[in-house]
Amino acid sequence: MNKTFKIAFSLKNTYRVNTILYSLKQIPLIKRILPQELYCDPDLKIFANILSGIWEFIKAFLGKFLYFLLMITLEVSLYRTEAQSAVFLHIFVLLTLIGAWLNTYIFNPTKDKYYGLILLGMDAKEYALTTYAYEMLKILAGYLIFGLLFGRMHGLAVWQCLMLPFAAAGVKMTVVAYSLWDYERTKVAVNENEVGVIGWILIALALAAAYGLPVTGWEIPERASVCVLACWILLGALSVRKIWRFQEYREVYRQILTRHMVQMDEARQSVKRQSEKVIQIDGEVGSSRKGFEYLNEIFIRRHQKILWKSSKRIAGICLGIVCIVVMGIHFLPEWKEIVNHFVLRNLPYFVFIMYFVNRGTGFTNVLFMNCDHSLLTYSFYKRPECILRLFKIRLREIMKVNLLPAAVIGAGLALLLYLSGGTKEPLDYVVLVISILCISMFFSVHYLTIYYLLQPYNAGTEIKSGTYRVVVTGTYFVCYGVMRMDVPTLVFGMGTVVFCVAYCMIACVLVYKLAPKTFRLRA
Amino acid sequence: MRFIIEHLSKHFEKKKVLCDIDFTFESGKIYGLLGRNGAGKTTLFNCLNRDMKADGGEFCLEMDGQRRSVAAEDIGYVLSTPTVPEFLTGREFLKFFIDIHEDKIQDIQGLDTYFDYIGISREDRDKLLKDYSHGMKNKMQMLVNIIARPNVLLLDEPLTSLDVVVAEEMKQLLRGLKEGRIIIFSTHIMDLALDLCDEIVLLNHGVLERVDKSNLNSQEFKEKILSALA
Ligand SMILES: Nc1ncnc2c1ncn2[C@@H]1O[C@H](COP(=O)(O)OP(=O)(O)OP(=O)(O)O)[C@@H](O)[C@H]1O
Ligand SMILES: [Mg+2]
Repeated sequence: MNKTFKIAFSLKNTYRVNTILYSLKQIPLIKRILPQELYCDPDLKIFANILSGIWEFIKAFLGKFLYFLLMITLEVSLYRTEAQSAVFLHIFVLLTLIGAWLNTYIFNPTKDKYYGLILLGMDAKEYALTTYAYEMLKILAGYLIFGLLFGRMHGLAVWQCLMLPFAAAGVKMTVVAYSLWDYERTKVAVNENEVGVIGWILIALALAAAYGLPVTGWEIPERASVCVLACWILLGALSVRKIWRFQEYREVYRQILTRHMVQMDEARQSVKRQSEKVIQIDGEVGSSRKGFEYLNEIFIRRHQKILWKSSKRIAGICLGIVCIVVMGIHFLPEWKEIVNHFVLRNLPYFVFIMYFVNRGTGFTNVLFMNCDHSLLTYSFYKRPECILRLFKIRLREIMKVNLLPAAVIGAGLALLLYLSGGTKEPLDYVVLVISILCISMFFSVHYLTIYYLLQPYNAGTEIKSGTYRVVVTGTYFVCYGVMRMDVPTLVFGMGTVVFCVAYCMIACVLVYKLAPKTFRLRA
Repeated sequence: MRFIIEHLSKHFEKKKVLCDIDFTFESGKIYGLLGRNGAGKTTLFNCLNRDMKADGGEFCLEMDGQRRSVAAEDIGYVLSTPTVPEFLTGREFLKFFIDIHEDKIQDIQGLDTYFDYIGISREDRDKLLKDYSHGMKNKMQMLVNIIARPNVLLLDEPLTSLDVVVAEEMKQLLRGLKEGRIIIFSTHIMDLALDLCDEIVLLNHGVLERVDKSNLNSQEFKEKILSALA
């Protein structure tokens, strides 16, 4: 028993340590510093082990702390009723019930279980019991501490708080015992992550009951809750026997794990299939173009839906919003000043909006999955002049796709400015429209450039470049930061125009200089 | 023409896959590249096609005694897993390819002639490539590489997914192509290598070595290869 637990634990730890090391390797700067023989460097191993230990600790305690704080205490204090303790128990009982169904541990297919049981052939029963016991101990410890802390805060008696951990563990064990019993009957082991439609509906109902009922002033009476807790403790005690006696853990795990692994495989393949699915068959309209223009035209035509649909939809939504505001101004004159002020002061917001509206990453993603992924293996495709020719064509296309929403937003803003009382400075109108168009152009160039310079995908069409991730995340934060700037529209607009034009020029120069070397498949 | 590899090496993490490879391939021959699983055949091809950066070393073409560096269009590479642009039909892909190479191909023929040549039937020509079978994709890849007439043609385990008839046709085709160019052909099927190739090259422990066939009958030759690889 002891040995099995040690192996199981160290397996889980190794898996986690390697995941940590792998993630470290993905971060561009750190990658350089790290030694080549990453996975056997003792110092790094120790470091990763410490991280792993901290993670285990965080999961056990911080997780429970946040759970009590965010899922229960926060809500209870919102309701401001006299019967705080009853509401606390009400929410606790319902959430714990959901948790018991969703988090059984035993029926959760994880990688470390797969390695231990299927690949290494460890004793399934010992494995199940020891790891399960460990999980239950973590629950007891976490709930004991935070149950007492938060329970007392809401006026529960100490003995009530002490019931919480045992009840939580009890109901979890009851669910497991029931599932095991069910398996003995049907010989079908149900993966806890396969909840099904009815399951989700029940969960939604339980959640609604947990948080909704107290709003209407009704909650499970305190006595009843305490009775439920007592029942769970009792049932849990009875379930221990079932869990202990059950003999077919091996079969159960085999079923869950192999099915899970097959699904994972399919998921991996389905990315490929998914990207093939977006190819539309068209009415075979010939093309008069040649070479790369020909390729591009067919590409755009066959991906019309994925490239243009959302762009059109966004344009439509923006148009709708503009119409609503126009009507608002018309019927409610007090809107005028607000709108006018907004348009003249808050252009920075639109950087953020344009960031979300932009289809850049979607475009490069399809480009790679359905086109470059295969064509990059052909040598002609990698000739510098071909790469640059196609870059130009694509830049034009992606700008077109993004221009539609941008034009609607720009024109809409100008219109709103006019209708809401206008401005003393006629230049404002021009700057408004042009800066929105420039921002749109900037994002188009930006995404295509980082695609050409970093080419983040590997042949298996996963994103492999850490730098790319950093740049994309960085883009988000920069946009977010810009949004908070408080600058008049005229100044900000001029600034963006200058910045965007400069950026586009620099980016294009960089692509011309570097892309022939960087635009490659990644091994 | 000769294709010269000098001091080519490549490693992954600690594992040395190619160690200081020196080899000269001569035109007009088909080279059969044999090696165990994981020996580095695909890695070698990827380095030669510059899909992967080698750690060091060079390769160049020597024409009439003049050395010049290898341009992208000198190399044709047919991958073991066929990769074709899924959103095009066979005909469109071929047209695109010929458009691009217009000025390099001497005698451009009608598209259907090419399809007839490679044996892709009329009703398949206007289907999307994503709906082609593995072998048909392989044929398309082979076809465009043949049309481009590269000086060096790298084939990574082709023919494995082709049916017997097509495989036989393809062998004929490769024999017809070898004049004036270098074909390097990796495979695990020894009989195929012996049947088709003029030279057998082993990739073993990170180096390339030619196996001398002189005055051995085929059984002895096979045994020699096996013992060298083991
Ligand atoms: N991207 C990569 N990262 C790390 N190691 C790699 C990578 N690609 C290949 N290797 C390693 O390089 C070695 C050679 O692989 P390669 O694919 O070239 O072998 P191969 O000779 O083509 O084998 P096979 O006959 O099975 O196709 C293997 O040990 C493999 O693990
Ligand atoms: Mg290979």
